[in-house]
Amino acid sequence: MTDPAPASTHGDALPVAVLDDDADLAATVARLLTRNGIAAQAFVAPQELLAALPACTFGCVVSDIQMGAIDGFAFADLLRASDPLVALVFMTAWPTTAHAVDAVRRHGGLDYLEKPIDEPRLIASVLEGLAWSIRERRIAAVTATFTRREREVFSLLVRAHSNKEIAERLAISARTVEDHRAAIVAKTRTNGLAQLVALSRGEEP
Amino acid sequence: MGQHLPHALAMDLRATSSRTALLLQAVALHWRDVPLLVVYGVAFALLHWTASPWGGAGFFSLWYPAAGLRFAVMWSRGPRLAPWLVLAELCADIAAGVFHLDAPDALQAVTGAMRPGLTYGLALAAVLRLSHGRDDILALPPMPLGLAAVAAPTLNALMVVPFEAFLPADAGRYRIGIDIVISLTGLAVGDLLGILVLAPLLLWLAALTDAPRRMRFAPPPLRPVLEDALVIGGCLLLTIALWRAELGAQPAPGLLAGAWIGLRHGRVAAWLAILAQILVFLPYSAGQLDDAARLELHLGIAAVVLVTWLAGSFSDAQRASRTLIDKRNRLLFQAERLKTLRAMSVAVIHEISQPLSTLAIEAAHLRTVTQGLSSDIADSAALVDRKARALSDLVRRLRRFGGRDVDEPSPLPVAMLVQTACQIVAAEARNSGSRLECAAVAADLAVQAQEIELTQALVNLLRNALVASPGETVSVRTRAIRDEVRIEVTNPFKTVPAGSGMGVGLAIARTIVEAHGGTLFREDEAPCVNFALTLPLLAGASA
Repeated sequence: MTDPAPASTHGDALPVAVLDDDADLAATVARLLTRNGIAAQAFVAPQELLAALPACTFGCVVSDIQMGAIDGFAFADLLRASDPLVALVFMTAWPTTAHAVDAVRRHGGLDYLEKPIDEPRLIASVLEGLAWSIRERRIAAVTATFTRREREVFSLLVRAHSNKEIAERLAISARTVEDHRAAIVAKTRTNGLAQLVALSRGEEP
Repeated sequence: MGQHLPHALAMDLRATSSRTALLLQAVALHWRDVPLLVVYGVAFALLHWTASPWGGAGFFSLWYPAAGLRFAVMWSRGPRLAPWLVLAELCADIAAGVFHLDAPDALQAVTGAMRPGLTYGLALAAVLRLSHGRDDILALPPMPLGLAAVAAPTLNALMVVPFEAFLPADAGRYRIGIDIVISLTGLAVGDLLGILVLAPLLLWLAALTDAPRRMRFAPPPLRPVLEDALVIGGCLLLTIALWRAELGAQPAPGLLAGAWIGLRHGRVAAWLAILAQILVFLPYSAGQLDDAARLELHLGIAAVVLVTWLAGSFSDAQRASRTLIDKRNRLLFQAERLKTLRAMSVAVIHEISQPLSTLAIEAAHLRTVTQGLSSDIADSAALVDRKARALSDLVRRLRRFGGRDVDEPSPLPVAMLVQTACQIVAAEARNSGSRLECAAVAADLAVQAQEIELTQALVNLLRNALVASPGETVSVRTRAIRDEVRIEVTNPFKTVPAGSGMGVGLAIARTIVEAHGGTLFREDEAPCVNFALTLPLLAGASA
């Protein structure tokens, strides 16, 4: 077997949750991920996983689609409601084209894997999901302290608009824009526009 | 406008002329028709002559078998022969001295002799056209034949007046005026009797000579024969009794008997009943009778004969429709079973894939961690991993074929199609002691196809061939003909063992092949049965 890409092992790595009503398969997939350097925890019931959510934050959830009471898609909606920044990878023993499209388009799934599972593809998808989640969480952490106006100014600023343009767009004076900008820089403790742009992309400071 | 009109007219003329050309092409005489026409002329003259005893004033004969001959030939060879039959009749009439071309009434005589042939042709063409592509019981064989047998003489009689109208009326064969109804009725009755008595026999003989193998004569079961004989005998006795009681020739018993026999036992029984009636009454009506009495008697007979024949035709048509429905039901049943089977296999594939996921992941892990251990353990782990992996591949492949909701058409190499089908039936061939001989297929041939369905079609053909000739060699040959590929399945001819199948396989195969834009037909090369399947080749596949 080819060795998978070495997992990111830096400090803020988030664990992965594996959900399948087949306990053996859930455990096996979780162990597979752990072996590949990704912290993973197995769950057998959606409720179990949802109940664990407030306590621990997952970067990615690998979920089966056909599960007793709550199916994978209903679970995905519940999961998003309590944590919008978690990545989702679906797996199924009953692949259909309609499901595959739904999984990606409507439920924001990152991938749709057929059982028996292609291991390298699973690991690649999970790593991608983790990276996405970490990025999104960083952005969210930065912009959480902003006021509504500051958030607007920030989003225009990082898209390379000048102070004047922003003032025109938001129908405020250039002085006010400058004030907001100063507040943003103070809150993010950044030094100049380049760092702000990096922040908006979720890159590490 | 002034400029457009001639142009439009020319267009119109061209369209008309091309239509005329088509029509002329359709009625053109073929060499193979000539002997038929000669025999027809002679037979026509003979039958015409035999009809003379039943003649009367204002009509030629109340029993005109020549009309039956004309109808039978036109029905079996198509209305396109009508002009040529008219010509043959004219020649026969002239040769037999029925009329002379230099006589003063030659024009009337010639047009009068041409009318029946032409009106028959028109009536037959109209009935065939109207019943073509319709689905009700009137359009099911043999109903069109029965309808044409009534329509042709009726049209012939109706056209007498228009034909005679533009001719000098002094010497018409049909009296114009008060007696016209008598003339036309006599004409129609004579033709009708001739057709319904003679045409079925001639058509049956024609079918016998065309396909001698398919028509096998089975002795009829005793009970229906006895029943019909009793019914017809009773009816004849009753008719004679009524007649003896001075009530005249009453058609009612004959009508009852005819309807009974026809509806219960179909056309063959109906025709025999008609024959019995004719044999009893015609010799009598040929004797010394005045015209009115003879006409009355023949009208009665015509009514009986007509009802009997239509009842027989209707009964046969219903039987045919029942057979059709039965066949459709069997097809539906089969399709339903296939659907269930497919759903089951899909379910099995999916259910296997769940535990297999666990197995494959753990096996791979086991192999990795045992690599450094003793070769015995490592080899075992590697073997388990390899098998799990192979099984995973198999499930994925099976799912790609059977698990899809719809089998999407995709390019399919013909070699693969033939090979798969041969593999599927190989075991059956071994069991029946037959040999399957698959000729090599050019690798560049491909068709756009739903693989599973098309494979099923070819499998059905192969199965039929294997069942039909156990212990023999069934060969499959494939070749490209222009933009088509032709797959031939050949087996030596043997009689098909009874109860070897429902004949549904072939119907399914044909439906599938035609859905792919291809054809499936039987083209025997003695002493072998040969089914040919053609499919349009994928353009650019050979490049």
